Amino acid sequence: MKRVFVITILSFLFLLPIGHASEIIGIEADGDVGYRQVGLIWTTDSPTEEGTLFEIWVSNASIVDTANATKHSEVRVGNVSGIIQPDIGEWYDDCLFDSGEGDWTPVHRDLDGTAVVSVGAIGVNCTLTGLPSGIEIYLAVKSTTPNGESFLSSSISSSSTMSDEEIIVIETSPYVFAIGSIALSVLILLFVLRWMDYRDGRTTSRFAHLYIAPAILALSVLTFYPVLYGIWLSFTNADQSHLGDQSFIGIDNFITVISTSGFFRVTGFTLIWSVVNVAAHIGFGLLLAMALNSDDLKGKTAYRTALLLPWAIPSYISVLVWRGLYEPAGALNDFLGTNLNLLADANGARIVVILVNIWLGIPFMMMSISGALQALPKDMYEAAEVDGINKFSRFRYLTLPNLKSALVPLSLLGFIWTFNMFNVIYLMTDGGPNLDFDGPGSTDILITYVYDVAFRDGAYGVAAAWSVVIFVMLVVFSWTYMKKTNATEAVT
Amino acid sequence: MISAKSVASEPPDDLASKWYVPAEVDSLRNLYPIVVAINFVSLCIFVLRGDSDSIFSSSMQMIVSVVILMLLSKLDQGQRFIRDGVISISGLALLLSVLQFLSGPQILIDFWMMLWTSLPAVLVIYSVSKPIVTLWASGNQTVRSAELGLSRNRSVSRFHGMVFRHVALLHAVAFVLLPILWIVDVALSPGNSLGGEFFETVTFEHFSHILSSESFWIWTRNSVIVSIGTTILGLALAIPAGYAFSRFKFRGRDYAMFSFLLVQMFPGVIILVPYFLVMKALGLLNTSLGLILAYSVTALPLCVWMLKGFFDTVPKELEEAALVDGCNQNQVFWRIILPLSLPAVAVTALFSFLAAWNEFLLALTFNTSEEMYTLPVGLASLISSTGQAWGDFAAASLLVSLPVVILFIVFQRFLIEGLSAGGVKG
Repeated sequence: MKRVFVITILSFLFLLPIGHASEIIGIEADGDVGYRQVGLIWTTDSPTEEGTLFEIWVSNASIVDTANATKHSEVRVGNVSGIIQPDIGEWYDDCLFDSGEGDWTPVHRDLDGTAVVSVGAIGVNCTLTGLPSGIEIYLAVKSTTPNGESFLSSSISSSSTMSDEEIIVIETSPYVFAIGSIALSVLILLFVLRWMDYRDGRTTSRFAHLYIAPAILALSVLTFYPVLYGIWLSFTNADQSHLGDQSFIGIDNFITVISTSGFFRVTGFTLIWSVVNVAAHIGFGLLLAMALNSDDLKGKTAYRTALLLPWAIPSYISVLVWRGLYEPAGALNDFLGTNLNLLADANGARIVVILVNIWLGIPFMMMSISGALQALPKDMYEAAEVDGINKFSRFRYLTLPNLKSALVPLSLLGFIWTFNMFNVIYLMTDGGPNLDFDGPGSTDILITYVYDVAFRDGAYGVAAAWSVVIFVMLVVFSWTYMKKTNATEAVT
Repeated sequence: MISAKSVASEPPDDLASKWYVPAEVDSLRNLYPIVVAINFVSLCIFVLRGDSDSIFSSSMQMIVSVVILMLLSKLDQGQRFIRDGVISISGLALLLSVLQFLSGPQILIDFWMMLWTSLPAVLVIYSVSKPIVTLWASGNQTVRSAELGLSRNRSVSRFHGMVFRHVALLHAVAFVLLPILWIVDVALSPGNSLGGEFFETVTFEHFSHILSSESFWIWTRNSVIVSIGTTILGLALAIPAGYAFSRFKFRGRDYAMFSFLLVQMFPGVIILVPYFLVMKALGLLNTSLGLILAYSVTALPLCVWMLKGFFDTVPKELEEAALVDGCNQNQVFWRIILPLSLPAVAVTALFSFLAAWNEFLLALTFNTSEEMYTLPVGLASLISSTGQAWGDFAAASLLVSLPVVILFIVFQRFLIEGLSAGGVKG
């Protein structure tokens, strides 16, 4: 009975010359679906037949015919088997259709990208993108059957209410101007120096300035200029919304830095991190270098190659591997027979990141100290052995003082590197656990926190101020360290 | 100093008897602090396991080790009683350690802990009951035997030192290899499992998956472009500069060299934010060119110093002869110096290639679109909050690091020499 009824209706629709093109009875628009987007829903009075084409027309005035409107997009009714059906968010315009059963499914897309809905669909819901926001726009849907009948819906007005986000277009010309003038002044400087050499009659070095010109240019444009620009930025209110038109705000950023809730905590942990790491690198490096420093050690090359691996493997890979080891399901728990989740605990995570960095840094120190050890005179040790000096005293009174000239710069270099070691903490914990918005996490060191300030919060000026503070800290530390070590050298 | 009094009756020229301590005893005295430390580590592991029985027996072992350490330091000539005590307490330590091992779980680390408690005890029993030590401890040795012992000590202690070296190095190697073996295991085991038995089931599904994934090849392409671009640009900038610094005396030379040193001291962080903004303004974000420029300049100072060091070793006479023969300065550079220093240039090229291949921070900051990821950022994105594809990551990281590691190992001597020429001396 029902079947007969449907067939009758269908044939009736087929036979009717006018009006059997599915009439669009309900059309609604929603301006609140997203930036520059309008949601449009229309339903038809009857199930759509194969070949029907819906066209969505847009205009800034009420649409009575399509002559003064622009077509936004099309939706086709057809056989959907074998046509891809992208998920919501995968396509430019998100469209859903109601196939008559009352549930909304994503439309299919044919090879041209046109939306295709299955035969019998009675409703379509599209999110139209690329519409101007803030002004009233009119939308209408026109349906066309395969044999040419068409029906234009009444037009409906809406406006995308989401306000325009400020699209920051940074003015390129000041940067180009700055770079150009720096390059030009460097070139002029080199030229003047060259001329002065010529005046003084140094002809052997005719090409010297030409030879260093590319390197000096690159260095000044790509290093000195950004450094100076960074120092300038630290005194401005540059952030994601004030870029290009930042203005001078004095030392406000530095006050922000000092008054950050975790300033002393993050500085303290950075110091602990650097000192513990450098001490362990040098201690273990020295131990291993001394263990390797023997002429008749069997398998010396094999040992050295194996011990070099942490240096040879790209550090980001080692760090991620260690992170996997420390995961609760990872091999560390299997290996120790424990049930730990160190990375979730603040102090556990601190210990873990330090251990990983120790693993990474030992080979460099080992090799550097090895080189220095080999340079020590052998007969000194032979004399000591003949005199019956024991091993510990030989180490304490012969090796250490003689290595000092190598260890002082090495430890300083190691300190600066460790202080700025970004990969380990970013990839192991990302500063966590206990990450919150207005302060550093438990394992954040200064550089990882600066990264967050700059690229998560978008506060470029404050981040630049942090960088300057870090730089000043490093300079002060290096200076006092050099002074102290020189002073003790003078005493002994 | 009772012992000193007990030998006081002997002739005063008998320094040998006074000085002589068997090398075995000396080595054991050096060994036992380490044993105590490792006992402490085991105790920590048992505390982490929360296994109260093992905590108790492990602390007992630690006390016993401390007692042995103290007795060993007291052991001297004429201390037969202490010698017997050390032997019997070591027997106790051996017994405790075996019992502990049998009662707990017997995974690899327990085996290691058992070795570190039982082997030293066995060594104590064996060495202290040797006739030569027994004779020394009972105070009955003659001057002759003390002299013989002194000369014997040298070779014995050398042997012990060598064993110490091997033990220390083997431990370091195990610590180094542990994560590497583990990642090989993860790459070869099915699914995303992180734990389990090593090499239980072997499958190559992760390798085939990563090799057939489009994004891996995109990242590789980006990394290759960036690394090769960096190498070429870096060398083009560094070679002439290094040559000029090595050969010419010119006005401004010292300032220029100092500026290169200064840059090397700059922490990267101070440049990161302004760098990003300049690159953004110039439209160089999400391009290979931006990274190439940044990398070649960050590696530039070290490359210049390395090359200067190499050029310094090329004899000046060659150039002078060529100049006399009518070459001009440019010809000398291109035809004589450059071909001669090709190996050095190759090492510098390898250095800047590796630096660019492994760099993470700038790549992460500059190239944020997935199409422009380099391998480091791409691999890190496999382990992110959205999904942790450990198996794929493990396979990809083996594929990426294997060639780099081989290059590094093969050229390590030259790389390290170059680095120390550029870094430490400078």
